[in-house]
Amino acid sequence: MKEILDWLDERTGWRKLKEVILDRHIPKGVDWRYTLGSVTLFFFVLQVVTGILLGMHYSPSPDHAYDSVKYLTNEVPMGKLLRGLHKWGATGMVVSVFLHMLRVFFMGAYKYPREVTWFSGVFLFFLVIGFGFTGYLLPWDQKAYWATTVGAHMVEQVPYLGDALAKIMKGGSDLGTVTLTRFYAIHVLVFPALTLLFMAVHLFLVVWHGISAPPEKDPTLSDKDPDWKARLKSRYAELKAQGKSFWPYIIFKDTVAVTLVFLIVLGVALWKGAELEDLANPTDSSYNPRPEWYFLSVFQLLKYFPGKLEAFAIVLLPLIVVSILFLLPFIDKGPKRHPGDRKWLVLAGWMSILGVVFFTVQGARSPLTNPVMEQNPLVMQGKRIFTDLNCLYCHTLNGRGGSVGPVLDLVAMRRDKNWLGAHFRNPKKLTPGTKMPNFNLLDGEVESLVAYMSTLGATTYSAEAPRLFEDNCASCHKFQGTGEFIAVDLSHIGRARDAGYLAAYIKDPVKMNPDAAMGGYADQLTPEQILDLANYLYQKGK
Amino acid sequence: MKDPKGISSGPENPQRRTFLIALIAGMGGFIGFILGGSGLYYFLSPALRGKKKEWVDLGPLHNFKEGQPVKADYLQRKRDGWEVIDSSGVVWVLKEKENYVVFDSHCSHLGCPYNWDSAKEQFVCPCHGGIFGKDGRVVAGPPPRPLDRIPVKTENGSLFIMLEEKA
Repeated sequence: MKEILDWLDERTGWRKLKEVILDRHIPKGVDWRYTLGSVTLFFFVLQVVTGILLGMHYSPSPDHAYDSVKYLTNEVPMGKLLRGLHKWGATGMVVSVFLHMLRVFFMGAYKYPREVTWFSGVFLFFLVIGFGFTGYLLPWDQKAYWATTVGAHMVEQVPYLGDALAKIMKGGSDLGTVTLTRFYAIHVLVFPALTLLFMAVHLFLVVWHGISAPPEKDPTLSDKDPDWKARLKSRYAELKAQGKSFWPYIIFKDTVAVTLVFLIVLGVALWKGAELEDLANPTDSSYNPRPEWYFLSVFQLLKYFPGKLEAFAIVLLPLIVVSILFLLPFIDKGPKRHPGDRKWLVLAGWMSILGVVFFTVQGARSPLTNPVMEQNPLVMQGKRIFTDLNCLYCHTLNGRGGSVGPVLDLVAMRRDKNWLGAHFRNPKKLTPGTKMPNFNLLDGEVESLVAYMSTLGATTYSAEAPRLFEDNCASCHKFQGTGEFIAVDLSHIGRARDAGYLAAYIKDPVKMNPDAAMGGYADQLTPEQILDLANYLYQKGK
Repeated sequence: MKDPKGISSGPENPQRRTFLIALIAGMGGFIGFILGGSGLYYFLSPALRGKKKEWVDLGPLHNFKEGQPVKADYLQRKRDGWEVIDSSGVVWVLKEKENYVVFDSHCSHLGCPYNWDSAKEQFVCPCHGGIFGKDGRVVAGPPPRPLDRIPVKTENGSLFIMLEEKA
């Protein structure tokens, strides 16, 4: 064994490397706050591992992205967990890199001789943010599409260059196929390569200079003293000599911290999973675009800059933030690292944190302007199949389409679900002589098409509906001659809202309107009765 | 150990050291097990997936000639990963005394598409010289087994074959 190790040592020098990296002494006083860097490094490894695995079932094209993510989440074993880990790992990484930066900021650890370590760290911080921004377009769901739309429009606001910049970012004038492949390439090729590069520099410098010791208050130390650099170095040597070796003492702390955050991320991934909203729909005007939480502060901030001032917020503010971060080691020079000796800077730091937290909370609490519509995923799937199979080639819907097959506008009034299902499975068996071809549809496809067809024209109401209104609503609402005018007059409600909205409102008013005084009827009425009532109000109130 | 200024770097307790190393290995092993285990399961899952089969229509029985292998193509609507595709394929059908035998269209050696040589009354594979008789048995060449047979049934005057649903 020793011979093999000797052989290897002659050729790789591993003993020297082990001595320099693992056996190096870490200055006394390095405590749990110093584990944040390792935690961030762990998150990077976690993102790489889970990201590679997700990449095995992902297709970066608008036609496939959503379906492939849905497939890997719901049908590939462990897919849900791995996607959850990737999503929450991203959140964890943003938190840990931010806290790591704050630790370095408050301890003044970016000061001589570690300025370049700080610069490489700032690059890494922005890379993490960039990973977040490029990553959440990839599932191509509503959130992805609309958040990136907002992002692209922000870039457009840049004076003079905005248009060109936005086109470069989107790969064209529209957010579409090329945008997705660009974001994908940047997310999985460019950013990981850059991150490895800056991480190599960062970690090399951490070993080269040694981990900064906790700041000490030393009134005799000042940059007036020509020897302050030498004094710093000798004090650092003292502390280092008193400290313990990196392996296993410091690594133990790091491992404990890493295990704790891993357990948290694992727990959240198992508990919350990774949501996938509806497929991106550029024509949907009822969606409330919201960015990922770590962009909420920026999102909220933009509300305070109306009109032309917005360009200021979009260009100047980030420029100021970036400049401050990079210039920090030049703004705050000299040997004094203790927060007590850097009162103004520490105060500014706290103000910035409070600002970010405040805007994030405000952003999270900003009310959703559009009502939250629950859409039946089956119906949406059915709509897609309806389009994919070119059903309008023969059938007419909403006045468009061919005349070979029957008009479908009110098909749900004529045909029930059983008929529709049998029809899609084998048209000729049910209707001999029909020209409708057999598409050999899979069970899931039949189910979705039936769900979609059942929504067409099913907006009639029963004879019971007026009585339902009398019994449940008339004591507060007026509706075309009946009821009390205490709450909103519903006589013309059908002009403003459709039946789906009304049904959702009757079921749970607060969900649709946080200020609603009305109580929900989910317990008093059956879902069919609620739909009946909604159809009645919609049809008669049109 | 004493440094030049006489400050002790603290005693090293070998037992504590071993204990910490064991804990590091334990925690690292735990993370590795969860991440590696789920990742491996995810990666290997295609091999563990069960196969579903279904009957696919090959067309009316009168398409097939008595005693002469006929190539027949089919269209199977199936799931392919996250897509639903109309996958087309081809098989060889041999009708003998109202008995139908359907051969998979790939040579049993390495999957090349073989053809029927009506002069020799043999299936000939273009790759490595595999030759099969009309009944699919190996006549010459490297194929390790006869041509693969696909389960068949006749129903309402049509021929059906049992194929794997790709999921």
